[in-house]
Amino acid sequence: MTAFRELLGREWLFLDGGSGTILQSMGLRGGELPENWNLTKPENVIALHSNYLNAGSDVIYTNTFGANRLKFPGNLEEIVRAAVANAGAARIQTGREDAFIALDLGPTGRLLEPVGDLPFEKAVELYAEIVRIGVREGVDLIVIETMSSGYEAKAAVLAAKENSDLPVMVTVTFNERGKMLTGESPECIAALLEGLRVDALGINCSLGPKQMYPIVREMSELTDLPLIVKPNAGLPKEKHGRTYYDVTADEFAAVMNDMADLGIQVAGGCCGTGPDHIRKTIELLKNRPLVRRNVRKRTVVTSGTKAVEIGAKPVIIGERINPTGKKRFRQALAEHDINYILQEALRQEDAGADILDVNLGMPGIDEPALMEETVRALQGVTSLPLQLDSSDPEALERGMRVYNGIPMINSVNGKAKNMKAVMPLIAKYGGVLVGLCLDENGIPDTAGGRLEIAGRICRQAEEFGIARRDIVIDGLAMTISSDQNSANTALETIRRARDELHVSTILGVSNISFGLPNRQIINSHFLSMAVANGLSCAIINPNNADMMAAFRASLALTGNDDNCMEYIQAYGNVEITSEVRTGSVSKTVPAQPAGLGVCIERGLAEQASKAAKEALKTMAPLDLINSELVPALDKVGKGFEQGTLFLPQLLMSADAAKAAFAAIKETVGDNSGQKKGRVILATVRGDIHDIGKNIVKVMLENYGYEVLDLGKDVPPEVIAETAVRENIRLVGLSALMTTTVVSMEETIRLLRERKPDAKIVVGGAVLTQEYAGRIGADAYAKDAMATVRYADSVFKENS
Amino acid sequence: MIKADRKEVLRYLGYRGSQPSAEMTEMISDCIRQLEEAIVPAFVYRRFPVVFHDDGTMDIADMHIRSEGLFRNLKGCSAVYMTACTIGPGCDRLIRRAEVTSMSRAAVFQAAGSAMAEDLCDRVNEEIRIREEKEGNVLRPRFSPGYGDLPLELQRDFMRILNMSKECGITLTDTLLMIPSKSVTAFIGAAACQGDAQQGCDACAERADCIYSYREEL
Repeated sequence: MTAFRELLGREWLFLDGGSGTILQSMGLRGGELPENWNLTKPENVIALHSNYLNAGSDVIYTNTFGANRLKFPGNLEEIVRAAVANAGAARIQTGREDAFIALDLGPTGRLLEPVGDLPFEKAVELYAEIVRIGVREGVDLIVIETMSSGYEAKAAVLAAKENSDLPVMVTVTFNERGKMLTGESPECIAALLEGLRVDALGINCSLGPKQMYPIVREMSELTDLPLIVKPNAGLPKEKHGRTYYDVTADEFAAVMNDMADLGIQVAGGCCGTGPDHIRKTIELLKNRPLVRRNVRKRTVVTSGTKAVEIGAKPVIIGERINPTGKKRFRQALAEHDINYILQEALRQEDAGADILDVNLGMPGIDEPALMEETVRALQGVTSLPLQLDSSDPEALERGMRVYNGIPMINSVNGKAKNMKAVMPLIAKYGGVLVGLCLDENGIPDTAGGRLEIAGRICRQAEEFGIARRDIVIDGLAMTISSDQNSANTALETIRRARDELHVSTILGVSNISFGLPNRQIINSHFLSMAVANGLSCAIINPNNADMMAAFRASLALTGNDDNCMEYIQAYGNVEITSEVRTGSVSKTVPAQPAGLGVCIERGLAEQASKAAKEALKTMAPLDLINSELVPALDKVGKGFEQGTLFLPQLLMSADAAKAAFAAIKETVGDNSGQKKGRVILATVRGDIHDIGKNIVKVMLENYGYEVLDLGKDVPPEVIAETAVRENIRLVGLSALMTTTVVSMEETIRLLRERKPDAKIVVGGAVLTQEYAGRIGADAYAKDAMATVRYADSVFKENS
Repeated sequence: MIKADRKEVLRYLGYRGSQPSAEMTEMISDCIRQLEEAIVPAFVYRRFPVVFHDDGTMDIADMHIRSEGLFRNLKGCSAVYMTACTIGPGCDRLIRRAEVTSMSRAAVFQAAGSAMAEDLCDRVNEEIRIREEKEGNVLRPRFSPGYGDLPLELQRDFMRILNMSKECGITLTDTLLMIPSKSVTAFIGAAACQGDAQQGCDACAERADCIYSYREEL
């Protein structure tokens, strides 16, 4: 048999057509699992495959679309073995020994974290299990199909590659608007799958050939990998409770013929198509030569839903997620305050960053574990792509593995050992790699010396199968306070890297002014110069108005801002103050700030923060808290309890108080006085609705409690262990539904056993006082204020 | 386009007839604007015959269901629709994001997302109503798993029979929660005449204590 990889992309390969719809015509009932037929009706499954082989299909998919441990907890192995055997039998019966058997992996039917509840590694393991069986049974390739989430596709690809050397093809599903269910564009998914080094990629299901055509065209311009198209026989229609498809074989084949002009190389059909659709398609296509595609390859980093091109126009990489020189950030890392990191991320996103740098290197922390945790948390809230920034390859790998997209990786340098450690990671997970122009001998003083290292990095990368376009060279901005020529050298390096090596470039801009006063003056001017010299990526603080002004002005001046629209949008309606020292851009003079108490009562977060900072100039933090903050909070809390004001007002005040506390912490460090007590909060196992718990958290923190927030879907053991380890006196549990109150009850039982002196308060939509009593809780809290009052009573009586 | 009825948003937020502040009003408008960009509505429905048994049970699709509430709701129907709809995962993302910086915004997204899911249900309902009108049928009020004595476990059957994960991207956790969270499954009966089923809050035992129930405006 000719090896599949030798044919793929060089000759036409024809796949099979729909299977579910055909099996239904053989008697499979709606809602019945087709995979069971591998065991109960093998003759039908063999007939299905045989019909396609007789029609001319070169590749048949095993009947294992939904075969995974979740759906077949008892007999997965049996099902997969039978499925491969059935495909093999069809191949022999039809005399088509030249045909290939593809192990078919479909979606798990569950959504991955953070959108859903399936952990990424669990998804990898679910797929790995099927792959191991399929490989053992002798399949020829692995096909991952009908994926509606890129993240799940990544889990499946990793499982395939980590458990076999077989070719891997991936097809995904788009809606008519050209988006996947979880929001990915063709650009995002093409970059992701290319990064994961699949053998071929494409589109199947959901759409008929006509609706799929524009998406195929878009995809054909985005990738040079072999392109697969497997449409439905039109859009589904319904009659008497049955779904049907009505694009005929001739109509189907005609559009497939048009798609051949776009340069597809692999063709088949999905729902509603049968052997006739495949036969007609083969008739029209098989004698046509494959069309070469003209692909403009680009450098792209992606998040789940957003693609950012590097090298087209300059982009901003936000530098704020980094402990270096930041006391408050170091404190957050030491306290494991992930929420602080998330806030920094969202602020930079709002300020206009395109990509966020994530650097968590600090002595005394487990950087690899924290990198993984932070990447997971960040991709739950920000839509921006990330730049994983670490000198520890293990930290990089942990982050890359769970990252949903193609990250930037900062960085590799010219040391042989470093390149061997980092580059294989890119070859496995995909990524755009930042190359630092330094090696065993340090940083060269001249641009020529730096380019020599940059060239070496590019060549070494090629050996690992990393394209030059996925290398971004760092020109290394060193402070001009110690070497007055260093800016010139950095600028010459990026300019020549662009012109001679044809790579994109990056600079950590603010290093240039280290040791000098009023650094933003130097920084902003250096940024403009760097953009003028062709810089692709500027690592800066996007919250700094001077830097953003320099950046936007530079884009406008270098022809990178169409009609100066971005500039006008940013500065069209603002007055620039003439103060040279800060040069800050601000909207017209703000009104005299109101007192902190009033701001909190009215729920004005921004003003509360300003008022707190203002008040701290004349007041001790504790006095401010006791005389303004607490009374205002109390007033609002009482109003809520008496029913004169409602939850949104309570929450707005809570947000304002939180902003004020943050301002105090930022100004004077954590000096907000003794905590009243430490409380565990968790949404119990199986439950993913945690907004109620999060409301309680904000309220408790505002009332002076330290909250250990264990998150959602938390196993009883974790809650009990934490309660014991941290010697916790109060545990708050939330559950939304009767189905999850069961695990609340289990958690309470375990807590009683392991930590009998801890009090337990519960809340959630279906709970009542009586229900809470029945499952053994000490108290039921009907809302967040009730939880605060209960906590007060617990810590008062025990203290 | 899917709309969030402001009155509904306020009701979900727990306002009982009183007017929100100017800041809150603005926040609601802003959140609705963001949601309108983020949602991706999707739905699926199928029509099945229904068979009633003397012991108070019913057969719909391949299910045998015991529920007094649903039985009363569907009595007299010749057909029943199984429906599932969702406004997509965008709303959940906005909520998660808001929780980092502002719980009040998170609560507003939560309320406005629910109002939008409700609006989508109404639109699907209307589409089905027009179909059935041609057959001379009227529709019964929607009835969802978990409502009254109708077991929540039926969610698994909805998943299976409607192929919900593929058709509209709704998945189910082991504990029968739907993801995206702003998703609704329901039976809708079609009959030649209106039944005597109670509707909305009147049909619910918790009405008296519920802060969300419809009442006379104060």
